[in-house]
Amino acid sequence: MTLHAFQLLIGLRRGVSAVVIALFAAVLLGNSAIAAEQAKTAAKTEQAVDAHHGHTHGPAGHPTELKKFGYAYLTAYMFCLSLCLGALFIVILNHLFDAQWMVPIRRFLEHIACQLFPTMFILWLPIGLLAKEIYPWFTIDPDHDHALHAKAILFNPTAFYVVSGLLFVVWGFIAHGLRRASLAQDKDGAAVHTRTMRKYAAVGIFAFAFSLTGAAIYWMKSLQHQFFSTMYGVVYFAGSVWVTAITTYWLLLYFKNRGDLKDVAREVTFHDCGKLFFAFTVFYAYIHFSQYFLIWNAAVPEETFWYVTREKGSWWWVGQITIFGHFWFPFLFLLPIHRKINFQIMSMMAGWAWFCHYLDLQFNIGPVLHPDGLHFGIYDVLSLVGILSVLIFMFSRAFNAHPPYPQRDPRVAETFGVYVEPVSSKPAH
Amino acid sequence: MNAYGLLAVFDTPADAMHAAEKVRDAGYSKWDVHTPFPVHGMDAAMGLSNSKVGWFTFLGGVTGYTSGMIMIWWMNAYDYKIIIGGKPMFSPFFSFPVSYELTILLASFGSLIGMFLLNRLPRLHHPLLKNRKFSTGASHDKFILVIETADPKFNDQETRKLLSSAGSKHIELVED
Repeated sequence: MTLHAFQLLIGLRRGVSAVVIALFAAVLLGNSAIAAEQAKTAAKTEQAVDAHHGHTHGPAGHPTELKKFGYAYLTAYMFCLSLCLGALFIVILNHLFDAQWMVPIRRFLEHIACQLFPTMFILWLPIGLLAKEIYPWFTIDPDHDHALHAKAILFNPTAFYVVSGLLFVVWGFIAHGLRRASLAQDKDGAAVHTRTMRKYAAVGIFAFAFSLTGAAIYWMKSLQHQFFSTMYGVVYFAGSVWVTAITTYWLLLYFKNRGDLKDVAREVTFHDCGKLFFAFTVFYAYIHFSQYFLIWNAAVPEETFWYVTREKGSWWWVGQITIFGHFWFPFLFLLPIHRKINFQIMSMMAGWAWFCHYLDLQFNIGPVLHPDGLHFGIYDVLSLVGILSVLIFMFSRAFNAHPPYPQRDPRVAETFGVYVEPVSSKPAH
Repeated sequence: MNAYGLLAVFDTPADAMHAAEKVRDAGYSKWDVHTPFPVHGMDAAMGLSNSKVGWFTFLGGVTGYTSGMIMIWWMNAYDYKIIIGGKPMFSPFFSFPVSYELTILLASFGSLIGMFLLNRLPRLHHPLLKNRKFSTGASHDKFILVIETADPKFNDQETRKLLSSAGSKHIELVED
């Protein structure tokens, strides 16, 4: 699998990938140079600020190695969680809209969604263990912090662990319920399974909305517990489905080339997948802009500080990548139809989307630990590679153990591009 | 009597689609298929390229966005400067919602106008409309393919042969 994937990514586009890697390396090098320069001046002013105020909006001073690892791991974890939650959402969507074009992509997305429990739960445990290191509010006395005192009902260790555990139960229930019915239908082809999946989807979409928001608030937003934003969960959701849509496209291409999905992955499937990605490009921009715009317009200090921190140092540039790389580039570039069905372009776009989404999460998490700018170190690489390898291993095991697409879904004939006349319409002629 | 074209009636979307593929491969250029509902894959069967309406939409959108931005800049930061809530005289943030609405408005105008221009609509009359087979079938349960006499490849005998070989049971010449 890996060799094939490597050939698909590198073999076709050696020149372009070399340029991308070179650019990325240049950015990182330049960034660390700037960050080192700023750290010198920032250290002086920070000391002065600390002396006056007692504490700032983040853990000041030099972070411990454990803390650095915690943040790197959290960023990588939230990235992988995006893919799993996005997959769960697209599966739910399939049943809610009774969509025909999603049948070929549904099975592997079901497998990705099922990684939420137990795999992602086990992978979450380090975050639970390091919560004291990662989340500043764990160690702040609510009686000395008004914002924390006001939110103490949510932000206390007991609630944190109970809610976190509950989230995995909810995700596991929906994801496994959907996959169980889908696999059962492969065996007997009964329509009752489709109805079961619809029920899971109808209830699941609400549970999904609340649980995703809970995850975004508890694991990411609470890093700066003073911050208010009712759109925070939706922003994470939009970015997650965005990156999942293009990953789905890439996986569909990969499994088509490998042969698993070569009968069902038609051009129209890729086009629809590209359209979903395009729609979420716009949706993410719309949602994130709305969050920024409302905060900018209201100019309330409890909210603005969050973006003010993120306009300092190289974080400003990360923000620019979110505006121009996350939105404007894919938006303008993918407007014409022919690019959405160009495999080389879309595979590259998959890599670009991963890069932009990862930076978007760094933008959310990183500034709390490194106010001077983006830091990308060995812990980040290790966490990302580690979590991804576990997920890929678990996913391939599940994918290879079952049929590659729903074999007896009521709409599978349409997926092949075959028109089957409904039995009820025959006597009419 | 002037003939407008040859009309061939088909009973199922699949028949019409296969006929369209044959006509496309025979190299005709002035012809069309009329169906009661959109038939997926018909554009490819007819060999139609992507519609150009998108360009009108894009142009409308760009016009809307830039005019919105310029309008707000001109009103707030140039013609009648006024400070509101300590905000800058001009900022892309507060002007975005209005520019965005204008983008959508003018883009939809662009689509509508572009569609009308490319369809050459509105028009008062079309030769096909007085044909009984067409007016009762094309919006009900028949799939109708029409090749115009104005087509350079049109030949009464040959075209008729092509359409009947495609499986049409009813072929007739439509008067202009």
